[in-house]
Amino acid sequence: MEKNGIKEARRMYLRSKEGRRNIRNCIFAVIIAIFFLFPIYWLIQMSFKTDMESFGKLVTYYPHEFTIDPWLQNLKDADFETSLKNSVLIAVCAMVISLGFGVPAAYGMGRYKVRGTKTFMLTFLVTQMLPASVMLTPMYLTFSKLGLLGTYWAPAIAVASGSVPFIVVTLRPYFKSIPVSLDEAARIDGCNVFRSFFKIMIPTIKTGIITVVVISFLNGWNDLIYSMTFNVKADMRPLTANIHKFQSKYGTKWNCIMAYGAILTIPVILAFVFLQKYIVGGLTAGAVKE
Amino acid sequence: MKLSMAAKKSKEAYVFILPGFIYLLIVCGYPLLYNIDLSFKNLNVKNFASGEAVFVGLENYKTLLADPTFRLVFKNTLVFTFACLLIQFTIGFLFAMFFSKKFTLAGPIRGLVLVGYMMPMSVTALLGKNVFQLDSGVINDLLMKLHLVSAPVDWLVNGGTALAAVIAVNCWVGIPFNMLLLTSGLTGISDDVYESASIDGATSFQRFLYITLPLMKSAMLSVLMLGFIYTFKAFDLMFIMTAGGPFNSTDVLGTYAYSRAFTQYEFSQGSTIAMILFICLFCVGLFYLKLLGKEDD
Repeated sequence: MEKNGIKEARRMYLRSKEGRRNIRNCIFAVIIAIFFLFPIYWLIQMSFKTDMESFGKLVTYYPHEFTIDPWLQNLKDADFETSLKNSVLIAVCAMVISLGFGVPAAYGMGRYKVRGTKTFMLTFLVTQMLPASVMLTPMYLTFSKLGLLGTYWAPAIAVASGSVPFIVVTLRPYFKSIPVSLDEAARIDGCNVFRSFFKIMIPTIKTGIITVVVISFLNGWNDLIYSMTFNVKADMRPLTANIHKFQSKYGTKWNCIMAYGAILTIPVILAFVFLQKYIVGGLTAGAVKE
Repeated sequence: MKLSMAAKKSKEAYVFILPGFIYLLIVCGYPLLYNIDLSFKNLNVKNFASGEAVFVGLENYKTLLADPTFRLVFKNTLVFTFACLLIQFTIGFLFAMFFSKKFTLAGPIRGLVLVGYMMPMSVTALLGKNVFQLDSGVINDLLMKLHLVSAPVDWLVNGGTALAAVIAVNCWVGIPFNMLLLTSGLTGISDDVYESASIDGATSFQRFLYITLPLMKSAMLSVLMLGFIYTFKAFDLMFIMTAGGPFNSTDVLGTYAYSRAFTQYEFSQGSTIAMILFICLFCVGLFYLKLLGKEDD
């Protein structure tokens, strides 16, 4: 009996030690989270402050006087509405182009062994490295000849050049991991290869597909340099490229500027809230494994 | 019969691969060649319309290498890149080790921290500009409250501090990214290895030195090289946060190439700077590709 009691106590002790370690780690993790999320908190709380409070010498850590006026000022602005529309359209165009070229290429590279695979892979990897500045001037001159400057296509085409290799690198391992028996079953059922690509392959790797859909949309949404360079007229520019314009309009009204930034961050926050596990997994797969 | 099957199969493969491949050849390959061509010419706003730009050989490269501003910009790019890499990688690695432990909040918080990496860089830059303001900025307020500085620092007005501020903001984005990539490498090491080492009496420092580091070597190298590639071509952050100022002290190759080409309309000069940027990336990229090739086999 006594021996059992000692065992029990030891077990309790171990458990509690582990428990304490768990709590200690959790507290430390929360501190890290506070440090990294503080800027986002700062952005949001700033956007609900009054003009005076947002640029006053006295720094406040939460809105002492709460107002949604900065948001309204942005939303009411006619330029804002156009910029928002442009942002959405550029992001959608970029996403469609990226997926249209990227997903089939990833499939082809993941499921077939053909001559030139190494060359293809190398090309996709090298293009991922290209800095925007290398493409900027030539694209500007080319688009100007083709009459594409000041259209949604110009930035969308340029942005997709970065997303396509990302999609290939991210999705290839997913396609590779699908068992060959699935292809065979599809063939026996009379699916041709395109049908099986759309009806079987894509639904099977839903996780990967969600990642690349979100990232290729966000790449377009976040783009600054291409839209700014190719769409010189303000009424074709997305939110990112019009930042300077709004900054000079608002001056030191940081509350309005931060509300502008908060609006730009909404898609990212939404993606995170709903699709976090997909994206984190997808990003990791794409960046290191290949 | 077998051969025709194989031929049919590879035809199928090309139908899937080639559109994407050709797209990239046109959208990336062509501009790259065009850019090389431009860097040997003298295209600027004066001869843009007439199309009378002529071949000038290495003239652009010579002009740039002799230009003190370019040298400063190049130095800034190096300082920015290496400072960011050092901080991001070290802290990212420590965090990755921490988050690979098993505790209740490890998963959720690791994911949350990544929000900074996903945010539009332009918004991050706006935020950076705000927090580093002289009077209304929260950084100065905190530093004053903690008695770390006696008077508010005018971060974005002095060259040295402006570069430091830009580096700090970039690390806020880079640390979570490094952490994420390194965590997946760390979780790949099986617990058995650590356990048997502990039984053999290895201290935790020895375990780190003789197990973690060697097993993580290739993951670490690829994270460092990816980090180099992303950091070296930075643009959005400086463009919005400091516009390269004060006096070019936060100008990097990306922003300088842009301002030469699109604010001064010296297209060929801009292309030359972009070429130099590309050559630096390409050299590091070659090592990265070699590393990947090894892993693929």
